[in-house]
Amino acid sequence: MTEQDVHDTIVVIDDDYAMRLSCEQILGKSGYGVRSYEDGARGLEGVAELKPSLVVVDLKMPGLSGIEVIPRIHEIDPGIVIVVITGYATIGTAVDAMKAGAYDFLPKPFSPDELRLIVRRGLERRRLVAESQQAEIERELMKRRFVTFVSHQLKTPLVAVHQFLEVLQRLGDNADASAKRREWTERCLVRTTEMRTLINNWLTLSQLGGGTLSRHRVDLDVRELLAHVVGEHAESAARQDIRLELTPGVPLPVHGDRTCLSVLFENLIANAVKYNRPGGSVRVEGTVDSGEVVVAVTDTGLGIPAGDLPYLFDEFYRVRRSGDETLTGTGLGLPISRRVALEMGGAIEVESTEGAGSTFRVRLPSCPAPSSKTEPIR
Amino acid sequence: MTRGYRILIVDDDADYVAAVGAYLEANGFTVVTAANGQEGLRMAARHRPALIIMDVMMGDRTEGLFAVNELRRLPGLERTPIIVASALYTTEPEFTVPPEAEWLAGATFLGKPVDLSVLLERINTLLDMG
Repeated sequence: MTEQDVHDTIVVIDDDYAMRLSCEQILGKSGYGVRSYEDGARGLEGVAELKPSLVVVDLKMPGLSGIEVIPRIHEIDPGIVIVVITGYATIGTAVDAMKAGAYDFLPKPFSPDELRLIVRRGLERRRLVAESQQAEIERELMKRRFVTFVSHQLKTPLVAVHQFLEVLQRLGDNADASAKRREWTERCLVRTTEMRTLINNWLTLSQLGGGTLSRHRVDLDVRELLAHVVGEHAESAARQDIRLELTPGVPLPVHGDRTCLSVLFENLIANAVKYNRPGGSVRVEGTVDSGEVVVAVTDTGLGIPAGDLPYLFDEFYRVRRSGDETLTGTGLGLPISRRVALEMGGAIEVESTEGAGSTFRVRLPSCPAPSSKTEPIR
Repeated sequence: MTRGYRILIVDDDADYVAAVGAYLEANGFTVVTAANGQEGLRMAARHRPALIIMDVMMGDRTEGLFAVNELRRLPGLERTPIIVASALYTTEPEFTVPPEAEWLAGATFLGKPVDLSVLLERINTLLDMG
């Protein structure tokens, strides 16, 4: 995002000729398209015609006052950012202007830098709002397509298996066919396993909603569980040149469902490896902090755009990035993880910087009994 | 039997591509493949297939539909027969978009899994028309 976004047009409404001129010069030099008007009525016509990104409006003008102009600008386009200019004597009015929908105010006299800064901040905010609206729309669309999408996900492995069987049935009995038969039988097994995982994920998800898990709780040490899951991912991490390490630490006693907690950490660690890059690392660390077991999974991977974070734990929400089309996923891993954490009386949170990596942190109530009573891993 | 026509399969499911590809090869076609829309466009431009079989959902989006429209803009591919096959369609939606349509012009839609006899018949019909 450049400082001078050539697409941004700014309208200035001020009865003071000198003020209009200096705004035009300051903002024009920063690369914005600027138009100025000497009163509210003409200003509104200009806004309707130009559809600017931002309007700078003086509060104290003859005719339509700035306060009256603000709602009428937003009638034209609620997305327009409004900055009001005011003298020191009218700070109270500036507060009223903010209540009427202005984004910020600039007291007179102001320096060119102050004007540029406030405009830049206003435009940045406008972009953020637009992005989150876009994300909201996508989420809504995704919900509507939910059923279609689920059945498609379930059908995909079934289609592959069906197609293999149908072709095998039609191929003759030559050597080539028997080689294919061996290879494809193997693939059919892989795909039916995939389908089973998918269905199991679904069932776990719906069970979690029903609260049936409380019956299966035992005292266990999460540290052993983590060691098990990390061990399972060691090979695939090494293959992708990713350093996967479990920081040895204290016992992590919780009272919970072993299978579901495995699914939770399995999802987090698998994601940290998957959305990573060669030479990167994944660190898994468990601590006990004021009665809570805290497990942090930190990766140096692709990171998550800020606009996606609020929806990350929604069913079937997937972060869209260009260039990662090969990374497939069900969009169920994180929703399941969150439900497991909640069901166990805990929580899950994420911090992420796009391009730098993410940390997923799971908090679970630690169980008072020491680890002596815990069951060993299978 | 069919005369060495080249068919491009664009689909992100490597198993599906392997199965259908092998069947078409066994029936005398030459098969080239692509795993996503972008690659599909490149392969189509390079290999000039006589017919294209296109998936819809690739990754997690309906990429195939956009790829069809992009294909129509490539010189020489404006009229190439395209079969859009997807598991999105629950019934047998078999229908063909009119060639003058702006969106998905001339595409024939089939449900997945495709019935291999139907697929073969449809391919032959489309190639004979062209």
